[in-house]
Amino acid sequence: MSTALAETSEKLLALSRRAESLYDDLDLRAVTEWKSRGKNRRAIGFLPIYVPREIIHAAGALPVGLMGGADRVEIVRGDSYFQSYICHLPRSVIELAVGGRMDACDGFLFPSICDVIRNLSGMFKMLLPGKYVHYVDLPQNFDTALGGRFYISELKLMARDIGNLTGVEVTDDRLRASLAAYNENRVALRRLLHARRDRPWEVPTLDYYLLLRAGYMLPVEEHTAMVNEYVELAAQAGRPRMDNIRVAVRGAFCEQPPLGLLRTLERAGCYVVDDDFVLGSRFIEQDLDVHGDPWDALAQGFMHHSLPAASKYDQRRTKHADFVKRVRDYRADGVIFMAPSFCDPALLEQPMLQKALEDADIPFTAFKYSEDTGQFQVIREQAGTFADALKLWGNA
Amino acid sequence: MAITAGVDVGTGAVKVAVMRAGDSCARDELLGSYFERIRRRDVMSVVDECFEAALKQAGLRKDQLDYIATTGEGDMIPWRTGHFYGMTTHARGALFLDPKARGAIDVGALHARAMRFDEHGRVLEYRMTSQCASGSGQFVENIARYLGVSLDDVGPLSQKGTKPERVSGICAVLAETDVINMVSRGISTPDILRGIHDSISVRLAGLIRGIKISGVLMITGGLAADSGLVAALKDKLKDGAAAIELRQHALSVHAGAIGAALWGAFRHGKLAKETEAAHAGGT
Repeated sequence: MSTALAETSEKLLALSRRAESLYDDLDLRAVTEWKSRGKNRRAIGFLPIYVPREIIHAAGALPVGLMGGADRVEIVRGDSYFQSYICHLPRSVIELAVGGRMDACDGFLFPSICDVIRNLSGMFKMLLPGKYVHYVDLPQNFDTALGGRFYISELKLMARDIGNLTGVEVTDDRLRASLAAYNENRVALRRLLHARRDRPWEVPTLDYYLLLRAGYMLPVEEHTAMVNEYVELAAQAGRPRMDNIRVAVRGAFCEQPPLGLLRTLERAGCYVVDDDFVLGSRFIEQDLDVHGDPWDALAQGFMHHSLPAASKYDQRRTKHADFVKRVRDYRADGVIFMAPSFCDPALLEQPMLQKALEDADIPFTAFKYSEDTGQFQVIREQAGTFADALKLWGNA
Repeated sequence: MAITAGVDVGTGAVKVAVMRAGDSCARDELLGSYFERIRRRDVMSVVDECFEAALKQAGLRKDQLDYIATTGEGDMIPWRTGHFYGMTTHARGALFLDPKARGAIDVGALHARAMRFDEHGRVLEYRMTSQCASGSGQFVENIARYLGVSLDDVGPLSQKGTKPERVSGICAVLAETDVINMVSRGISTPDILRGIHDSISVRLAGLIRGIKISGVLMITGGLAADSGLVAALKDKLKDGAAAIELRQHALSVHAGAIGAALWGAFRHGKLAKETEAAHAGGT
């Protein structure tokens, strides 16, 4: 390996290690450190899938994505709050919260995605009485005059509450500046996503995922720089292309798969070229207008330019056709449905998406996981045989 | 025509095969092969050693290979071209070793699996043991160690057994306890080994019957080299309704590596055609 290549590899390794250290930071030390760098700094935690982080940013606070404890938290108290047929994410979130490991957060936002997350907001209100807790009621009516108006009132309510915490008023100008900062982040993430789509061997699934997760801990400007640096370095790293199939992954938008599962998929011969991991990080697909009314821009982004999601009403009724088109646009050889056990939104949507794939003659396979899944042999066999079948007998 | 290598990293051993794939299955040719037990060494160093040795035997360099295919635990090898799942590669390897075979029973260090396939090596049905090790090579290796018998002697000694002792067929830990009791009761080593092979064979025969196969069935994987197990399994398969002819080959242990190399050649050809078609479409 030449010196230049070795240096590039070292830099990439350093970036992925930095991202992994943020992923491992369940005590939110990086957030505490960020808060210590200025007076009256506040951090606002949020649950999946999507909250408008621009509002938090404009109020001078740090948005912190709370994605559960993965396989690194022993659940002792968390289980006592939930029935056995409830997914794993809220258990680890409660475990971390009551254990004081989310103390760096001054407030929490719970977007309307499912009953479990909604109820979690009530539990946080009771368990953490000194903290700001807000249930973000996202509209399911996509008429600008109705749902749009409602959404803007919700945004302004959040802005007022968080502004009261930080002492910073969310003015139109401040919000425009935040939209611009997140637009830059969207551009960087699109570069990363397109690199995955076009040259997946350059960006291993694990690195890609850790980079997404880093965006839920770092200030947006720092994250944008990190992603841009990674994409530029990855293009020069000369990583070898392997004879893997290209797959799209669906179902992992809320409770996140453990890192071992992501490694397993790639080692089993699958390049993940499209996915819904950490979906909120790129939920708004287009850059938002930074010249007009910033509240309108946020509402337009959510209502007309956001990605489809199991928890979002499909008013235009084109979700299934759009999904098939996206799979084809991303040149995926097949689809892997991997949903968390007991995830109602993902598992209720799955049969309809599968039917659309069947009609389009696109192969798929499906399995379930939990954020603390530790044994991957069965998944490895399933993904491996799926990859073999497509490589040897399919169109891959 | 493609020259490819298959690297089968098992739990107990590494196998490498270098193949020249012809334009039909009958023209496929094995150019070199190598087998080495891991024995608590760094797996990658064993892989490198086997790979070099197989290439040397074939008279080739690494850069002359069109495709390096891995199987088993070989997905951790960074210089692979592609990876194939063990079921897929053992089926193809068995077909190479005996073109009449339509099924294989792969008995490795930790797992056993039976598969039925068509004339192209496409797996049609399969059955696997669960995570219990009692139907596996690791179990035999443990017992051989208790008895102070080398692995090479296990098969011949077992075939000398005349009064095999019954051993637990469900759990390797219980079976090991059974063996300790037998030693203390003065049961002869051949009878103990025959009992072990009978016990494993009952499990394997169950897997084989589950895939509804008749005709030629190849035994592959590490335990294919255990003549005692092969004899015991042939005996057990006589009891079933379907006529199954169990065959063993001197290269049965290499079936996974051979199959990986051959599938690698297939992929090499398929990808080359796609590239050609893309170029033709672009011009």
